[in-house]
Amino acid sequence: MFYLSEIDHTMRVPPSLLNLPLNEAIQGELERLFLDKVIANLGLVVSVYDIKSIDGGFVFPSDGASTYTVKFRLVVFRPFVGEVISAKLSESTINGLRLSLGFFDDIYVPVHLMPNPCHFEADAVNKNQVAWIWEYQEENYPIEAVDEIRFRVNNISYPPIPIEADKESHRFAPMVITGSLDADGLGPVSWWV
Amino acid sequence: MKILKANAGALTNFEVLEFLRSRGAGKDTTRVIAPVAPSEYKVFDYLEQSVACNQTKESITDFISRSEKFKLAKAEIINVINIRPSSVVEIDSIVEDCDGRFGENIDELVDMVAEVVPLIKSITCKEFGYCF
Repeated sequence: MFYLSEIDHTMRVPPSLLNLPLNEAIQGELERLFLDKVIANLGLVVSVYDIKSIDGGFVFPSDGASTYTVKFRLVVFRPFVGEVISAKLSESTINGLRLSLGFFDDIYVPVHLMPNPCHFEADAVNKNQVAWIWEYQEENYPIEAVDEIRFRVNNISYPPIPIEADKESHRFAPMVITGSLDADGLGPVSWWV
Repeated sequence: MKILKANAGALTNFEVLEFLRSRGAGKDTTRVIAPVAPSEYKVFDYLEQSVACNQTKESITDFISRSEKFKLAKAEIINVINIRPSSVVEIDSIVEDCDGRFGENIDELVDMVAEVVPLIKSITCKEFGYCF
């Protein structure tokens, strides 16, 4: 689920941080720049693991800040295809399920990757929500909101950043994971334990 | 920005949890004093309530040395450590071609996992009220 990635970045340390020791200033700047951001094909940056080297310290003309070339390692969240992950149900609609990991919310399980056969029942409380139920050997197994749900990663995509803001209300997701529930052992843990 | 190495090493959930703990994430109840960002706290919360919460370094190295005879792929070993399957059907979703590769040995693998890596995280954590 997590990988270490080594990055080389040339960055400007603003003069307001001059009173801090260099390591701390650079750590703070790196965290401000990278934490909780998605780097395409690398994943969601979770944490700055360590700083390997700091070079430079040049001050460019008409600039009050010094520029450093830093080599450092980041802990990134990048699941591999085929990985099994436990998540919680965030919402379930007619298009499928949406799961959440707390720190990452854009995990979708579309209808065609749900356990086969299954049907859904409309939820009385919320018009948009729907309860999915799996039919297996004459028994009905519902997917409830309380369960921990295991899914297998089917695909990870990094949609390109839209140039114009869409009129729709959907928030842009820089990293989308498509999951599948269609195998033994997947789905709510309570089905199998 | 230049990516020197996109993959400088895979980390199990336990290792990330250890790293966050070493920065002081678990000890600070106010979550303001420790040098851990709110987004890192979210990852910490997720990992605490996963099975990684009561694993130890020794149990992981023990598991890796014992799993060598099963010839599992690196990705499968990481998956098993992160998920902690406690039955055959759970292993089936993690390991490819279970029957073909293992056959009878599958029970051995399940027993080994249950023995080496601590099992029910929710019970242990509930007993103490927190994960140390």
